[in-house]
Amino acid sequence: MQSVASPWKRMQYRAAHHRRTVEVICPTIATMPKSYYPPESNLKAPDGMRKTRTIIAEDPHWTLALVPRLSNLCLQSIASNFEENPIFEQLTPSQRRFIQERLSPSLPLHITANLISDGIYWKRCCELRWDLCDVSLYGHSWKRMFFERCLENMIELFIPDVTEPKTILDMVPHCRNYVKRLDICQLLTPVKEPQRAEEEELASEHEYEGPSVDHFDFGILLDKLTSLEELHLVYRVKHCGMNFEWKMFEMTDRDCESLAKALMSCKTLKLLRLHQSHIEDNKCRLLVKHLLDHPSLKVLDFSHNLIGDRGARGIGKLLSRGNLEVLNLCDNVIRDHGAKAIAHALSKNSTLLSLNLRLNRVRDEGGQAIGEALLKNNTLCHLHLGGNEVTAPTAVALSEALAQKNILKSINLSCNNLGEAGGKALQGAMSLNTSVTECDLRLTEVDEQIVAFINQVVWTNESLEEERRAREKTDK
Amino acid sequence: MEEVDMDPEKASEPENVEVKSRVFTLEDDKDPGVELSGEMSEKRLQEREKISPRRITNLQRHLTTLVTNIQTAADARESMRRKELEEARKMRLELLENDMKSSQEKFEEITRGWSLTKEKVSAQELQEALNNQQLLLTSLLEDKKKVIDELQQELKLGDDHFVKDLKKQAEERDLMLERMEDQIKTLTKAYREELAQTQSVNQRETKDLLTNDTSDWEQRMKKLWDTEQARLAQRRKTVEEYEAKIHSLIFETMDKQTATKIEQNAKLQVLEREHQKTLASIIVVRLNQIKEKHELEVLTSSRVDSLQTEKKNAVAKPNNQPRKTSQSLSKDYKQSVQQYERLQKKLKQIVVADARTFEEMWATVEAEVRQLAERALEIDSLICRQHFGVAWERPPMPLAASSSSFHTERQTHRPARRAVSQLYHTEQSLQRSSQRTTMGVDAETESADVDHASMGGTATQSEGDAELEDGTLTLETVTKVMELLWEEVGFLMEDDPTLLASLEKEEQTAIKLGSLLFSFGIEEEDLPKLAHFLLKYRQQQSEQTERVCDETGESSDQAAAFDPTSDLIHPNHVLPALKSFLNQYMKSRQNSCQSSVVHTEGRGSSEDKAYWESLGNVIPDSKVQLWEEAEKTLTQYIVILTDICALDTETDSLRQQNAELRMLLQQSLNPQVS
Repeated sequence: MQSVASPWKRMQYRAAHHRRTVEVICPTIATMPKSYYPPESNLKAPDGMRKTRTIIAEDPHWTLALVPRLSNLCLQSIASNFEENPIFEQLTPSQRRFIQERLSPSLPLHITANLISDGIYWKRCCELRWDLCDVSLYGHSWKRMFFERCLENMIELFIPDVTEPKTILDMVPHCRNYVKRLDICQLLTPVKEPQRAEEEELASEHEYEGPSVDHFDFGILLDKLTSLEELHLVYRVKHCGMNFEWKMFEMTDRDCESLAKALMSCKTLKLLRLHQSHIEDNKCRLLVKHLLDHPSLKVLDFSHNLIGDRGARGIGKLLSRGNLEVLNLCDNVIRDHGAKAIAHALSKNSTLLSLNLRLNRVRDEGGQAIGEALLKNNTLCHLHLGGNEVTAPTAVALSEALAQKNILKSINLSCNNLGEAGGKALQGAMSLNTSVTECDLRLTEVDEQIVAFINQVVWTNESLEEERRAREKTDK
Repeated sequence: MEEVDMDPEKASEPENVEVKSRVFTLEDDKDPGVELSGEMSEKRLQEREKISPRRITNLQRHLTTLVTNIQTAADARESMRRKELEEARKMRLELLENDMKSSQEKFEEITRGWSLTKEKVSAQELQEALNNQQLLLTSLLEDKKKVIDELQQELKLGDDHFVKDLKKQAEERDLMLERMEDQIKTLTKAYREELAQTQSVNQRETKDLLTNDTSDWEQRMKKLWDTEQARLAQRRKTVEEYEAKIHSLIFETMDKQTATKIEQNAKLQVLEREHQKTLASIIVVRLNQIKEKHELEVLTSSRVDSLQTEKKNAVAKPNNQPRKTSQSLSKDYKQSVQQYERLQKKLKQIVVADARTFEEMWATVEAEVRQLAERALEIDSLICRQHFGVAWERPPMPLAASSSSFHTERQTHRPARRAVSQLYHTEQSLQRSSQRTTMGVDAETESADVDHASMGGTATQSEGDAELEDGTLTLETVTKVMELLWEEVGFLMEDDPTLLASLEKEEQTAIKLGSLLFSFGIEEEDLPKLAHFLLKYRQQQSEQTERVCDETGESSDQAAAFDPTSDLIHPNHVLPALKSFLNQYMKSRQNSCQSSVVHTEGRGSSEDKAYWESLGNVIPDSKVQLWEEAEKTLTQYIVILTDICALDTETDSLRQQNAELRMLLQQSLNPQVS
């Protein structure tokens, strides 16, 4: 308390003292005969005094409100000495907020990570590092955003055999409780020649004796991130420029093996998205083999890869031995055999909600198989068969399923030459159906009137669905 | 395969723009054209609330399809491209297989040729065979080359396609972005419109509701007010009724109460009367008792009184002590009396001085007023004579009469004043005498001697007369006179002579005189005056007698033969002398009392007022009017005169000018002449 009172008192005293000195000095100046003293020496002393004193006494902006409170001073000192003496848990929420607003964002993470809860401090950290900060993508948690993006950055800039894996492992204890998602959009390959400068980010497979790993090894990381739920991976290099090489955009066998093992070790993973990574049948089978009986995996996305029939067969196996809810295999090279395998698995599956086979080569055989499987399936809601070279027979099979079961909600058959027959079959089915709220029949050579009819049905279904939902809401 | 890897999301070869455009035109024709018109009609038909969400959903659908159209088109193109690719690959494979087969055949042929050449012996044949082989080989190579060229061309084409595709994809991506932005914009706009609409609708609804509610409220309030007022009026009426009732009830009860009160009062009065009667009877009884007692007491007390008087007579003689005290008291008394007399003297002096000043004032004022009146009359006469030319008659002068009356009055007043002065003189002399009496015994003895000396003859008488004139009277003479008076006038008194007889002679005379004076109403101070008067009277009488004696010559002797007492005054003359004295005395008294008042009253009387008024009205009102008229005419006359005066100066100046001009003329004439 004394420390608070003293500066104020001192100021008051100074002001009073100053006034007195001025009063004392002025008459002396007035009475002093100028001839006795040289004018400079006569005026210098009081002038100097006045200068030093007037700062406080005659400052028009000086108010008592400007005197900081002791508590604030204390908090400020805490904030400035946080590195040596971190005090946070004992404080009240308002004081914590005060500290968070004043802490330096450059503090080492080992102090702040597990001490400071989500809030303004992490917001400041994020905004200092990145320009675009959409906290809604991170569950409205600035801390999560900070750590996820930190880790992503570290992984994306990880150069095999150059960067020490320890740097990433050091980060783990700080961030493992907060990282829920890893969205990695590049994985650097090893440097071609170690003696060259680091800016050469290229790697070559010609030197067989060189790198121990081709990309970052997730095996050392995934089992430690205890709250990781989503993993988005792309094996590619951004901004490669003229150093382009096909190897940069491929996942090697070694990578695949290590990743498969890492995935198996990560028990909390719910979503795996591995796209544009040149996954062939063998790699797919390897991954699937390790993902079999995964306890939590719900969403699997192998879009834009090179998975063929064998891979599809493996995925079919995964469907029957897992809890997958969403499967995305768009832009692969799955043909009728693979589609048959998936359809077979689908007919027995009771968890899958969404199946995306866009831009594959399923053809009529696969399409028919899927249509037949839908007759047995009771869960699938979304089906995408766009651009699969299916024709009227598939449409007929699907319309049978649509007519019999009111489970499918959205169906996409765009870019298939269904023809008049297929259109008519679908029209007939849709006239009976009440569940489909989305039906894409663009570029399918179906008669416009049929399309219009189907759209009408879809819209009525949609409005009905909305009403139902609204009713449920009100019921709740 | 490679292209797919690079950008699979957008990697789609735009086969032809026509398809796309067709799709869009279709969509556009179908969706916005038909449906918007339908919407418009619906809008008019249905309520807005239902339309706007539908419109929004339509908009959403439409816009999303617009965006996704590109994607689906790209997908379609991609699938087409893949188909083509596959076909091309198939064809290429077939082509290659055919080529391989043909080249294999050729190769076999060549190998067979080689085996044939081994059989050849001659160089020529060998040469031919070699040439043949060479030809075959070259053809094979050519074939291969051809194939290679074809493939390379295809590759080149493919590369070109790829570049084109990439460009198109970029364009499409841009288009897609644009459309997305458009979608966002239109959607936000739509949402805003909807918001505004809903807001306006809400506002209108709330307004309507508010107005309805307010009107309802007002109506209800009005009703309520009306009912309330009706109730209030009713209540007031009832209140008035009840008040009237209450009043009537109150009055009734009051009447009843008053009636009972009056009755009770009457009863009470009766009772009180009875009570008083009884009390009175009791008092009468008591009074009787007291009377009896009193009579008893009187009887006893009379006896006691007689005893007490006896006792007093026994005690009175040796009582010298009180006499001394009485002397001292008498001294004090005399002193106080002297003081009183002095005060009275002063008062009289003041009064006289006042009167004198008043008189003087009167005279001066009168003189002034008269002078003024005279002046007024003179002026009047002047005016009359000079102004009007009428002979002036002196108006009947009230002054003479009034002044004469005044003079008479004054003369009438004078004796009174003289009397007063006389009185004053006598008083002075009396005082002197009293002083003398107080001076001592010597004076007494002297005066006594003088008196005794005066007993002798006329000389003494003259002396006595001188004495009289001086106003000095001895106590002795006074006492003598008093005694004489008592003897002569004593019959007037009804006092018990027996009571006096018991006292000493001095006391007797004192008491007698006191009673006498009291009966006459004369104060003790006037006693010497009385004596003096009596003596004077005697003198007058004696003069008369002397005159008579002169005539007869006997009466003087008679007078000389008078006893000392009769020397003072004849007893026979005492009574008339007393009478005359009393008369004079009373008069003088009244005068002395009223003298000052009389003066002022005399002045303030109505006669004086009239006199003064007459003095004031020397000039009557008619005259005053005349004067005013004269003044007016005179003022006019003066004005004219002043004008004339002014004109005079002008004429003077003109005259002067004239003279000058004449001079000038003359001068001017003179030179001409000269």
